[in-house]
Amino acid sequence: MTFNFAVVFKFQDALLLGLLTTLKLTLICIVLGCALGFFLALARTSKSAILRGVSSIYVEFFRGTPVLVQLFWVFFCLPLVLGVELSNLASGVIALTLYMGAITSETFRASLKSVGQEQLDACVALGLSPWARTMNVVLPQAVLRAAPTLLSNCVSLFKESALVSAVGMADLMFVGQNISNNTARPVEVLTVVALIYFVIAFPLTRAVTVIEHRILKRLAV
Amino acid sequence: MSDTAPLIKIEGLHKSYGGVVQVLQGLDIEMTAGDRVVIIGPSGGGKSTLLRVLMGLEQIDRGSITFGGNPYISAKSGKTAIDAKVRRSIGMVFQHYTLFPHLDVIGNLILAPTKVRGEKKADARERAMALLTRFGLAQKANAYPAQLSGGQKQRVAIARALMLDPKLMLFDEVTSALDPELVAEVEQVILQLAHQQMPMVIVTHDMWFARNIASRVIFCAGGVVVEDGPPEQVLGSPKEERTREFIERVFHIKH
Ligand SMILES: Nc1ncnc2c1ncn2[C@@H]1O[C@H](COP(=O)(O)OP(=O)(O)O)[C@@H](O)[C@H]1O
Ligand SMILES: [Mg+2]
Repeated sequence: MTFNFAVVFKFQDALLLGLLTTLKLTLICIVLGCALGFFLALARTSKSAILRGVSSIYVEFFRGTPVLVQLFWVFFCLPLVLGVELSNLASGVIALTLYMGAITSETFRASLKSVGQEQLDACVALGLSPWARTMNVVLPQAVLRAAPTLLSNCVSLFKESALVSAVGMADLMFVGQNISNNTARPVEVLTVVALIYFVIAFPLTRAVTVIEHRILKRLAV
Repeated sequence: MSDTAPLIKIEGLHKSYGGVVQVLQGLDIEMTAGDRVVIIGPSGGGKSTLLRVLMGLEQIDRGSITFGGNPYISAKSGKTAIDAKVRRSIGMVFQHYTLFPHLDVIGNLILAPTKVRGEKKADARERAMALLTRFGLAQKANAYPAQLSGGQKQRVAIARALMLDPKLMLFDEVTSALDPELVAEVEQVILQLAHQQMPMVIVTHDMWFARNIASRVIFCAGGVVVEDGPPEQVLGSPKEERTREFIERVFHIKH
């Protein structure tokens, strides 16, 4: 059997479009998912037992079920339950945001714990309102401390996003599968697809180490 | 405000932690705007607790506090009795600096003025730079707390509290965490404030500092005021046996 990687180059435009869909989906879900995760983490550490209960159940549920099942549920069941049509992109965004929210809330929860009581006392002594305290002191410190793990979470999301191909979203994986079926060249095409994912994910995973080191130095007071 | 009307009046202050550890047991203190009160006493005696109560960081069980003649904290009406406006006119500096590590020095100074009082960023920066210059920290304006020495951090913390133009400053063992050679630079800054007639309550174990800054020294032990008087008297020739023992033990002074 001979391999002909030149085949793949004929489809570079299609692959690029697929990659853009993957990146768009991932970026939207990173932003929304991190915001959701932060407030979930606040809820999980709140004084209200109801907030704590609801947020814990949510997080445990999403961590305890396969992403693929969550994705199928949002694509096929949510429109029936809500009685509305959802576009492919909307469904993908909802599903992956809910998933990202659950995993980042764990990351934020750990980093919130590291914002000590003394910092909160200083906020009270300076007369900061609870909102100003949360947005200007707790959130930035929690984000900084969480940054390395959050970046890992983002890489996971980027890779997990390939699952949306299973429900027909034209992401990188979906395009790759199509091309490989049409050309009967699965080895070449899928290898290139894997390499594209890797080339993006690898520098990010390396960056985690570098960022971790810098942040620890900054926050060492 | 006149120098003789009480700035702070504490009456029958009781405070426990979880109802078990009785820390303050009927504390009465009155101070005027002309006073610089130094509080001394054994470790665990409730000095920090008292300052934290004044700052509104702790709830009390019994008693009341007025500030400038107005009700400030009262056990009867619970936590809500803390007057946010009064609290804003009190500044506090802690033993462990508690600067915000994610903000540079200027950022630490202007956060509260811009968020609490809605001051314009440019105006707050200008005031911050003036303060930093006064404290010899102008070149550190854009440094992060992790890049500062302990003495510099503590001076920044003092400047940060001063940005809100407090009517009363609370200092809780602000030099205890410092290396000995850094203590003087922080004490100098506080002495400078004292010369400008800033009313203050200071908890310290530094005898030299206490003598030089205090208009009054209060010895607290067992949750009550044991002795209260001018520094020469309380530190020099204490009336109470307990004060004498404490001063001999801590300051190694024989009478
Ligand atoms: N948050 C807290 N919870 C329970 N006990 C506390 C707390 N803070 C202080 N205490 C106790 O209260 C007593 C007085 O503490 P503190 O006010 O820090 O004394 P000081 O500053 O004079 O050393 C100590 O016995 C201390 O262990
Ligand atoms: Mg103390």
